[in-house]
Amino acid sequence: MADTMTTEMTHEEAANNRAMFGFWVYLMTDLLMFGVLFAVFAVLHNNTAGGSSGRELFKLKLALIETFLLLTSSFACGLAMIAARQGNKNQVLAWFTVTFVLGVAFLSLELTEFGQLIHDGNTPSSSAFLSSFFTLVGAHGLHITLGLLWMVIVMAYVLARGLSSSMVRKLTMLSLYWHFLDIVWIFIFTIVYLRAFI
Amino acid sequence: MSQEHPEDSRPKREPGTLESYIIGFCLSLLLTALPYRLVVTKAVTGNTLLATILGFAALQMLVQIFFFLHLGRGPKPLYNVVFFGSTVGLIAVVVGGSIFIMNHLHYNMTPTEASNQLAQDEGIYQVEGTNTGACQKLNAKHQVTISSGKISPIDTKAQLCDTLTFMNEDSAAHDIAFGTYPNQDTYDGQTKLMLRKGGGMTITLDRSGTYQFYEHDNPKIAGSFTVSP
Repeated sequence: MADTMTTEMTHEEAANNRAMFGFWVYLMTDLLMFGVLFAVFAVLHNNTAGGSSGRELFKLKLALIETFLLLTSSFACGLAMIAARQGNKNQVLAWFTVTFVLGVAFLSLELTEFGQLIHDGNTPSSSAFLSSFFTLVGAHGLHITLGLLWMVIVMAYVLARGLSSSMVRKLTMLSLYWHFLDIVWIFIFTIVYLRAFI
Repeated sequence: MSQEHPEDSRPKREPGTLESYIIGFCLSLLLTALPYRLVVTKAVTGNTLLATILGFAALQMLVQIFFFLHLGRGPKPLYNVVFFGSTVGLIAVVVGGSIFIMNHLHYNMTPTEASNQLAQDEGIYQVEGTNTGACQKLNAKHQVTISSGKISPIDTKAQLCDTLTFMNEDSAAHDIAFGTYPNQDTYDGQTKLMLRKGGGMTITLDRSGTYQFYEHDNPKIAGSFTVSP
């Protein structure tokens, strides 16, 4: 009896590991895509076509606030995962709500920045620098948007069906995705924003 | 007994305790605030600062990977670590390679201007008995100064293979374009000389004739130089 229990557990564990590895492979290919966008930005960031450079356009304080929002959101997501492993459904929902709210705050700041830039005539078609900027930061923003959408769906599932082990696996994937976006943002903050002020 | 309950040992391997998240969070806040301070206060400048903030970003990535993503603490063998390592390697090749290639692109271009500059930079003044237009040795030095929106001297007379330095002594940056406004020509492989305030740039006079130049954003500031063979 104990033996069959053990093999069943390892079966499930093995399936779990396979799924997590598959998701990890997806994350790495996504990272590769961001790497290419970073390369494009690194090559084009001086090509302002006579327009404004990053130093004149970016507000460093805003980028710092965005970074702190995303870092805190990532931390809240981690706390949600601890609660998930302990099977505490209410805490999971609470921490994911915090994660979600912080993510929305980040996204709205980013969209405000984009809106301001475009309003002032600094559109993606103004220069190669701005094209690559909007592509890189926009791609990250799009990932955040999809993550938020995913978060709502997963939270609805948790609310309806509770925390089964497959649900915990889905939550783990979501948290991996969220932490991953945090890491990508750190490089955007450093290479796009901080570098402009050197 | 413990063999019958392998799941008992599992929580210990389970990644992500509260402490690890708190440590990771505090470290990542610190690793964001520090480079921000450095850039704002300009404690260090230039390439040192760039290298420093990139170092902080890399450190931050490692912190997050260890404390948030728990990479390397999963089941063995660690295929995901291998996959991560190769991805980072690929990105390094793509990013590093792109920057390297694009920065050296003018060395691989064929237009006359580019090959002239290449010949000049590398000191190749003759190929199989034909002059490339590069100067074997540089002669007299001339200087054009921009101060309070005026260029002096307006016209510089020089010989082939002299050098001409544009100095900016204004309080703002100036861009010098060759040709007559609104056209833009090239000289010595340069389309535009970007002069910081207090900065200067030198060109080698490797083509004879009379050439006009003007301030890119304020074409009224203009001048010329004549190079006799």
